[in-house]
This record gives sequence, C-alpha cells and structure tokens, in this order.
Amino acid sequence: MNRFMKSLLAKYMLIIIVAILVVQLAYLLVGSIAIFGFNLQDDEDVDTQVVEDNWHRDASNMKNITDDKIEKLFKNWKEKYPEAGMFWVNAEGKLVVEIDATEGLPDEWTPVFTASFIKERYNGNPFTVIAFVGDKEKDGFIVIEIPRNTFDPPILKASERFGYLIIIGVIAFILLFIIVSFLFFRSIQKRLLKFQDSMGIRDVDGLPVEVEIKKEDEIGELEKSYNQMVDELRESRKRQQQEENLRRELIANLSHDLRTPLTKVRAQSYTIMQEELSDQGKQAAKAIETSITNIDRLIENLMSYTLLMASKYKYDPKEMDMSRFVRESVATWYPAFEKEEFKIDVSLDSLGQWMMDPIWMERILDNLFQNVLRHAKSGKYISVKTESREQYDSIIITDHGPGMKQESHEKGAGIGLTIVNMMVKGMNLDWKIKSSEQGTSIQIIRFR
Amino acid sequence: MNQVLYIEDEKEIGEWVSKDLTDRGYQVIWLTSGEDIDTYISKSDIVILDVMLPGLDGFSIGRRIKKEHSDLPILMLSARTSVEDKIEGLDFADDYLTKPFHPEELVARIEVLLRRFHKQDEKIELQHLIIHTKDGRVVNHESDVEILLTGKQYHLFQFFIKHLNQILTKEQIYEGVWGERYIDGDKTLMVHIRYLREKIEKNPANPTIIETIRGIGYRVKL
Repeated sequence: MNRFMKSLLAKYMLIIIVAILVVQLAYLLVGSIAIFGFNLQDDEDVDTQVVEDNWHRDASNMKNITDDKIEKLFKNWKEKYPEAGMFWVNAEGKLVVEIDATEGLPDEWTPVFTASFIKERYNGNPFTVIAFVGDKEKDGFIVIEIPRNTFDPPILKASERFGYLIIIGVIAFILLFIIVSFLFFRSIQKRLLKFQDSMGIRDVDGLPVEVEIKKEDEIGELEKSYNQMVDELRESRKRQQQEENLRRELIANLSHDLRTPLTKVRAQSYTIMQEELSDQGKQAAKAIETSITNIDRLIENLMSYTLLMASKYKYDPKEMDMSRFVRESVATWYPAFEKEEFKIDVSLDSLGQWMMDPIWMERILDNLFQNVLRHAKSGKYISVKTESREQYDSIIITDHGPGMKQESHEKGAGIGLTIVNMMVKGMNLDWKIKSSEQGTSIQIIRFR
Repeated sequence: MNQVLYIEDEKEIGEWVSKDLTDRGYQVIWLTSGEDIDTYISKSDIVILDVMLPGLDGFSIGRRIKKEHSDLPILMLSARTSVEDKIEGLDFADDYLTKPFHPEELVARIEVLLRRFHKQDEKIELQHLIIHTKDGRVVNHESDVEILLTGKQYHLFQFFIKHLNQILTKEQIYEGVWGERYIDGDKTLMVHIRYLREKIEKNPANPTIIETIRGIGYRVKL
C-alpha cells in the first residue's frame, strides 16, 4: 500500500479525484449561494396560484373605485413584484391607469380585442391575471402581468444572474486542471530525459555509470533496475578481466617454464663448447645452439600469436616518427647483419608521424629482419628504404635471398609472418610481399 | 674488479653464469633468493636479478634495491618475456634480458651498464687513444699528448664512450648531447663530428674511431 501511494499512478489518480471533487463542490457551492442569495432578496415563494388568488381578492375587495385607489393598489403590488406590469380598463373599455404594462396596448378596448387579448395571454408569457374590479362588472377589470421567469426555481434564476461567473469559474478550473496535468507529465518527461542522459554517460573504463535514485515511484524502480544492470555489467567485466589476466599469466608462466630448461640446455651446450672438441662435436654443439635460438623464437611467436588471436596483446598506439623508428631498429640489427657479412643499404627519408604501437612495430621489424637473417643469408644483402607516393608512405625491406617459395633449410617463418600480418592489420596499415628467386621484398604501407 | 651480485634460484643456470662471469674477470656473488642481499649490496657494482624467485619476487627485490641505491645498475635476467613483464621490469631496472641468452650478450650488457653508471675506473684503449672514463681525459698514447676537447666535443665523445659499440642515430646523439629535439636537416651535429674527428682521428678524411654508418648514424667500436 505504501508503495502504491508513492507511485505515479496514485498521484495521477489523486489529481483526477481532486478535479472531480472540486467540480462537484463548485456546483454545490454555486447552488447554495444562489439559493441563499435569492432568498435574501425575496423571502416569499413566488407562486402563480398565490398571485392569481391575491389579485382576484384585492380586485373584488375594492369599493368606490377611483383612479387613485387603483393606482395605490398597483403601487402596493409593484413593491411586492417589481417585475410586474399592471393596467386598468374601465367599463367603457378605456385604458385608464397603466404601470409598466406591455407596450402597444390600445386606449380603447373593444370586446373583440379583449377576447383576443385573453386568448393570447392564456397560459402565455407574461403570466397574466385579469380580475373584475369590485363586486360588479361595471367598474371594468384590472390586469397584472408578471414575466414567467420570475416564477422559475432559484437555481435557474441564479444561473441567469451569476451565469458568467460560473462560466469563468469552469474555464478557470479546466485551465487549472490542464496546467496541473501538464506539469505532472512534464515532470515525468523531464525525469525520463534526465535518465536517458545519464544512461549515455560512460565511465573511464567505457562502462555506464549508476544513476542517482531520487524518488521511489515507477521511474525510480526503472532506475533501480538500470543500476542493477550496470552492477552486473561491471561484475561481468571484472570476471572477464580476471579471466584475461589468468590467461595472460598462464601464457607467461608457460613461456617461462619452457624457457628455463632451454636456458639450461644452452648452459650445457655452452660448457661443452668450451671443451676441446672434435669437428663433429663442434658441429653438434653449434646445431644445438641454433636449435635453442629457433625454439626460443618459436615459443615467443606462439605466445604472441595466442595473445593476438584472443585480442589480448597489449595495444597502446601513439604518434611516432616512422623513419626515425625504423632507423633505430636497423641500428640494433646492424651488428647481426654485419657479422654475417651482409651488404647493408639504408636510405630513409622522412615518412612523417605514424599512429602505431612502438612495441608492435618493433616486433614486426624484428620478425622481418630475423627472417632475412635466417632465410636470406645466402643473398648477403639487405636494404631498408622508404617510398612515398601520393596515396601512401611505405617502408621497403629487400633481400637477395632464395625467395619464399624456395624452401629455406630453417623453417618457422610462417608463424612469424602471421604475426606480422596480424599486427600490421591491427595498426590499420597494409603490407605486400614480392618474392622471386632473386629475392624478397616486403613493403609496409600507410595509406594517406 | 667489478663485483656482480647475481640472484638466481635455478642451480644449473646459476652455476653456469657465475662460472662464466668469474672466468671473464668479474667477482660474482651468487644468491638463490633475495634474503641476504643487504649483506653484499653495498659492495656490488651491478645486480643481476631473476624474476621468478622463492619468497619475494625479482620485481619487488629490484624495486627495493633501486629505492635505496638509485646509482646501482640492475639488469633483469628472466625467462618471462611478455610485454607486460618487460614494462614492469624496465619501470625500475636498467635493462631486461630474456632467457635463453648468450653469455656474450649478457657481458656486453653488463659492460654497457657499468659504463653508464661510471662503475669502472678503467682506461679504455681505443686505437691510438687512451680514455680515462672517470674524468674523461683523452690521451694519445703514441705521442703521450693529452687531447683537449671543447665542451660540446667532450660531451659528444663522452656520449659515444657511454654507448660503445652501439650504433647511434643522429637523433639519438643530438638529443642526448644537446638535450633538444633533432630537426631534420640540422647540420650542427655533422659540423661537431667533423671538428671532433679532426682532433682525435689520425686521418680525419678516413675516420676509424667514429665510424659513419650510412643511412643510420655513427658508432664508436672498441
């Protein structure tokens, strides 16, 4: 019940009920004022029968008729019935005395006119009483005419008298009702719009924020459910985050657990290499070394691939000077190429700022340079150049190796290039590979 | 002799690295956990830290060491290779090397760090030059004449000595020495390198100490 009282429905019902009550009360009030007011003015009931009887009685009671006497009688009546009109037609048919009578009465009353007058006035308006004066007909007759509405019930009279007031009152009340309803609905509308606005607000983590609940009505309930939803969303995001961390941690641990024994293998092979070895032994130790490097690379790529596939690889792009970045990357690889007696041809013009994650770009270049070192060693050549056209800027890495179709004796380039592909696409860049027996050229492109 | 404080819980790896570093002339103190580091830390010139350790992990130990001894270089040596781990490590450590590593690479990085932190009182012999790293004196040992460098030349040469064997791009050198952003096409660096070469190279037209790496930058190789 308490909840119902707080609801919007209850409020609107209240408005309607108040409106109906006010209308009823207004009518009662107006009616009672009218009756009360009317009674103040005319204490006696106005009744046609009473008027008729009294008129006849006063007429027949008259003796020694004179004009003055008739006039006096008329004045008495006039006091009682201010709306009344009266006149006297004497025995000769002459209109002698007249007070407020209907206009157009003839001075001479012929029997024909008298008959038609009586006929016209019978049950007509104004209410008319014709009475012979005195006890004989020789003194003519007196007539009283009272407008019929004088006898109307008080409420009707009130409506005539106070009609405009009532109409103004009703209009005022309807306006009031419309305004109250308008305000009521506008407040609902305002709250809904405000609610909609707050639903659009996002927290730093991209999740919606809870809204403040001010009232416990239907909209309040809605806001409560919304907050509950936001809570659940947060909860699920948190769970997802935890799972993500768990997954990342798992991969990191796995990588660690694989690399630790690999390091031990290197420790042993390194120790063996310090010994005096036969040529065969040296070759074997070197093969172990190479395998360790390859496995290490594979583990790294596998981990990255797994994280990339699950979109869990940390991505944090920023504006960077691309040619500067490439130059620094080549600088770190330079000694490795130098050691393998590569001819290194570097020519980097400015490529402007690229939107990229430096770790990703470093990884891409590392994978590409690593591939050149491993698969294109025979060409003994690497060039890193820039190429800018109207539509794009690009970096081109070229080697003179046997090409990609030619099976290199060291495998494993596949996953490395897959990672390059995913990362290039992930940074909204493009890339192209041209490979022939004369060598391979890889172009990383940023369209303008 | 530089003292290396090495914390590694894997016995085989620890033995191997300690032996190798000892053979290369370092004094190595190898601990299997971070418990006793306080005993040795004050005498050490560099700390090599594994991440996965029993008890306190390497990151926590490293952070604590760096807080108390900010002038002590820390090299993280870990089989944890994820980007997140490296970022966390490099937040306080000065280098991060992943396992499996080559002992040569480890030594190279140790040397770079020792040089960067001025932990060596050694004289570097670079062709006909002897460079005293602590006070920055450069002496031509063939003629036994000290080479006097102007302020910028001195800073420039010091920068190369701190980054021995590294190829440095024009941007890196300019920003490292001048402390300002390098603007493409600025000739200031080239001019200063020419002056420096005139002072230190035997034949400035054919430089052998400050090598030009075409398209990339310069290198001073030991």
